Amino acid sequence: MILAAFTIRRECNFLARRGFTLVTGAERVNNMRFRAGILYGFWALGAAAGGQAQEAQLPPGHADCTMFGPQRDRFVKPERERFALSATTAQVTHLRGTAVTMAVAAAQPAVVDPANYPSFIDRDVFGALRDAGVTPAPKTTDYEFIRRVTLDLTGRVPTPDRVQTFVTDTAPDKRLKLIDELIQSPEWIDKWTMYFGDRFRNGQRKAQVNMFAQGRNAFYDWIKSSLASNKPYDRMAREIIAARGTNSFNADEGAVNWLVGGRVTGGPVQDIWDQQTANIAETFLGMSHVNCVLCHNGRGHLDTLSLWGKQTTRYQAWQLASYLSHTDTLQTRVDPAIANLYYWSITDGVRYKTDYALNTTTGNRPQRQPSGSEKTVAPVYIFTGDKPASGEDYRDAMARSVTSDFQFARAAVNYIWLELFGRGIVNPANQFDLARLDPDNPPPDGWTIQPSNPQLLNDLAKAFVDGGYNVKGLIRAVVASETYQLSSRYDGDWNPTWEPLFARKMVRRLWGEEVMDAIVQTSGIPMSYTIGDAGKISWAMQAPEPLAIGGNFLTSFLPGNRDDEERRGDGAVQQALNLMNDPFVMGRTRATGTGATASLAARAMAGNNEQAVNLLYLTVLSRSPSDSEKAAAVTSLNSGNRQQKIEDLLWSLYNKVDFIFNY
Amino acid sequence: MSEQEKFRQINRKYPNRQATFFDRPHWTRRQFFEVVGAGVTASFLVGKASAAGPVITQLPVETVNKAKNVIFVLLAGAPSHTDLFDLKVVSGVTPDAVKPAALKGLSWPTGILPKLGGTIDDIAIVRSMRSHALVHGLAQTWTQIGRNPAAALGDIAPNIGSVVAIEKTPERQPSHVFPTFLALNSSGAAGPGYLDSKYAPFKTAPSASGLGNTVNQDGEVRLTAKWNTMHSLDDSLRVDSPYGKPLEDMNDFYSAAKGLMYNATVSKAFGFTAQDSQRYGNSGFGNSCLVAKQVLAANQGTRFIQITLGGWDMHQNIYGIGGDPTKGTNIFTLGKQLDDGLSALIGDLKASGLLDETLVVAVGEFGRTVGKLSAAAGRDHWQQQFAVFAGAGVKGGRAIGSTTADGAMTDDPGWSRGRDVTPEDVEATIYSAMGINWTNIRYDDPFGRGFEYVPFSKDDRYGPLTELWG
Repeated sequence: MILAAFTIRRECNFLARRGFTLVTGAERVNNMRFRAGILYGFWALGAAAGGQAQEAQLPPGHADCTMFGPQRDRFVKPERERFALSATTAQVTHLRGTAVTMAVAAAQPAVVDPANYPSFIDRDVFGALRDAGVTPAPKTTDYEFIRRVTLDLTGRVPTPDRVQTFVTDTAPDKRLKLIDELIQSPEWIDKWTMYFGDRFRNGQRKAQVNMFAQGRNAFYDWIKSSLASNKPYDRMAREIIAARGTNSFNADEGAVNWLVGGRVTGGPVQDIWDQQTANIAETFLGMSHVNCVLCHNGRGHLDTLSLWGKQTTRYQAWQLASYLSHTDTLQTRVDPAIANLYYWSITDGVRYKTDYALNTTTGNRPQRQPSGSEKTVAPVYIFTGDKPASGEDYRDAMARSVTSDFQFARAAVNYIWLELFGRGIVNPANQFDLARLDPDNPPPDGWTIQPSNPQLLNDLAKAFVDGGYNVKGLIRAVVASETYQLSSRYDGDWNPTWEPLFARKMVRRLWGEEVMDAIVQTSGIPMSYTIGDAGKISWAMQAPEPLAIGGNFLTSFLPGNRDDEERRGDGAVQQALNLMNDPFVMGRTRATGTGATASLAARAMAGNNEQAVNLLYLTVLSRSPSDSEKAAAVTSLNSGNRQQKIEDLLWSLYNKVDFIFNY
Repeated sequence: MSEQEKFRQINRKYPNRQATFFDRPHWTRRQFFEVVGAGVTASFLVGKASAAGPVITQLPVETVNKAKNVIFVLLAGAPSHTDLFDLKVVSGVTPDAVKPAALKGLSWPTGILPKLGGTIDDIAIVRSMRSHALVHGLAQTWTQIGRNPAAALGDIAPNIGSVVAIEKTPERQPSHVFPTFLALNSSGAAGPGYLDSKYAPFKTAPSASGLGNTVNQDGEVRLTAKWNTMHSLDDSLRVDSPYGKPLEDMNDFYSAAKGLMYNATVSKAFGFTAQDSQRYGNSGFGNSCLVAKQVLAANQGTRFIQITLGGWDMHQNIYGIGGDPTKGTNIFTLGKQLDDGLSALIGDLKASGLLDETLVVAVGEFGRTVGKLSAAAGRDHWQQQFAVFAGAGVKGGRAIGSTTADGAMTDDPGWSRGRDVTPEDVEATIYSAMGINWTNIRYDDPFGRGFEYVPFSKDDRYGPLTELWG
């Protein structure tokens, strides 16, 4: 029945899209009324049945927009800008027009000149290490490197054949060749679609809004096709920020779901604009503190956290949010009789035509009231002073200002660095302080420069801009650096304060998807996941979101819910229970039984004990056993039921920490 | 002093004790400025800095401190308050099968909750409770984390149970093998927020055969052989690991997992018989209540148990399809699950003496519309709601607060703050009952602005319902 309902919805939605601008005034009023009904749950139904009309909004200054009490939530206009913000964030000079970008996108090579990047990354990192008197870890062995980079780029472990051809290859540029091979593989797209799905929080269902599987899948398709065509990152951002259309049908409108995900209930429309603005600031500028100043001035809240934040006012945050003030996040019911079936549209200038109005007294954030005669706030890109051009659509203008801000590039490279190193150059990566980034323009006493290596951050960002916001190029440059290729093993005394200097590579626990795909791939026993109407997939990394697979095994690896729980790298007791005992693992240790005829354990049975040990190690751990490991493993096979012993050895490898971690 | 020296000095003062390798050393800006003299503005707070953990500030409050354990029942979907614990008989609407009666002077639906009626002396009902929001997911999270999920710290705020876990973990004995925070039938339970994953809810669904994946297909003897092989091959990497702490932590998680396997105490606490299951109503919820009782009786370190009973979102046919209580999921059928499970839980806890040291809380995310039914013969979303408390010295057989004649609004708040009870107050009540200072602020959150156990508690905006014990 649900399927049938969705079919109806698809058709209605299609028609609605076609005729969207033809909606009559009366229908629009109905839509608004319906929206109000949804906002307050099914209250509208209750009212129709004779209930009393009552605003279900929250009281003013209600629970915890902030932790700091209502007395500070006063509207204050900026006295003066004590630090010229333009000095702290530069506009990218060679602004690239949309038309040019499109052409570049089609022709852009996936790989940029290898000569540039590695040199400056290593120059910056090793220079800082030398200044601090820190000895870096040794370089990775070929075995360490191929497993690490294959997991980081594709989410898979390398095949045993590839490991062998790689380590026996004597070409001096074999690591670069491997990187290029991996970054052009379809698995790279799968892994980084998952990554950007996390970053853009592409989930079907959130606490505040239901996008349905259709919306999630459309956004997934959009992310995936963007990465497959190596769409420049600034263009991805522009398409997201300036997205229009309905949320659930075509990949080319899938980006609409990002703004829909900023919907907030229980308050005026300004709450939605504020949340959408906060999301843009966090995702594209690495600045979650914008969310704070959307409720109150930074002073009295962010004084010890952010030099930028403490001098930023709520008024300025409203100037930023005003870019969203013509935007309508509209819910449309497919059939008035079906309450829980609707789609979302993002439109501009239809319902909301004025600038950000200071006229609220209730909702999720403190009241917005005018100071003097100024009842609305016009959009200003507060970081550079940029404004919409005459006649320019507000969100187009915002997309232009954000992507031409140098902070956009800094935030982007820092997020990618965080993913590849387990720690941002600015850490946490979403708490950039614009007033503490430039060592040539140091902050006042009591403040430190925020990036652990400011030169590296700026050089990376600059290279990212110069390279045309090429995501593949950036990732390639980072993993090709000597810094990335340092070992995670540190034989001397390790001082944790060296971590921000990147003196060694940090280990990371595999994602749940990576664990599952590694077990499926190495065991030779395939898997099939059914993802609703998106069909069947063979690899967990191809899921449109982690919850689409769900289940105890995956969720024990903390994949997050793309709403209020981020993906985490922590360990947990259930991870150990599942790796030791779950049928998903146990079945894949078998030499006989369903699907086991060509299994790894069956193939290990074919050789002698030493060959079996070598095969299992190379396949599962992507390396050869050490002499002592080989001796212990062979010994374990020498007595008892040989098949059982081989299965048990395979089980032991799946439970080894060098299987569970990328090191 | 150079930056590097300051850095090292701070690091010595706040040594790295956290498990997460990636994020350490971590000193917040707040801590930094406290050290270098800029000070913390909240000077009226009592500082409790120790080398053993993060900086915590708090107000000097008195906690109730009578509960060793908490069982938190989330009635997801928003149960109708005026059909259950704040029964309002509506002429021509309330079916005869509800069998309204007065128990201890409280209106009671003996047709829906007959067995809980029998435990009335142990139950206190809060009728002056009101939700902030009317969206299920949002309000459910709100109820579990005790604050607005859309607020600044909403994204990183831990489940109430995770806060209890981090507070009570130091009291664990080496012999304890159960998780401190257990979540039964609660796959969607809010997580540990920014706290370490060892304080996360240990989520599992009750099963007669016991805790999932605690036995191996190949049996204990072969598992032990595997375990030994694995250790012989892996100890050089997982013990005193050259790769750092995350690998050593994983080894600890393996040891904890092994402790749960082939453990008679685990099997006894997490498995159950058909007879016992029947006594608890033979439902997922009932089995969760049964397991909760057994887990607490085992006394293996579990202090907070969350149980979810969903399905209360009765927009249609709340009294059964066509008004027939036997047709469809309705207030009678779901009420029976609640009645069977919760009454057996309270009864068994009482019989074993555990009720004296266990606070049982049952609450939904909001209530439902009052009076006449909707056109779909259901009730829609409404802010007024209820909360049920039992155990840990709570004085039962009474209601706190009352509502207007139709149940739409609070009439008399019935407690010292003279306003509606909110999820934040329920949260503060739980902390207070467990002897946890609800005004604590931990300065180890990733924003560095301080995580308040209960939001605004230092302004005394929310606080415990001490009247439950009065």
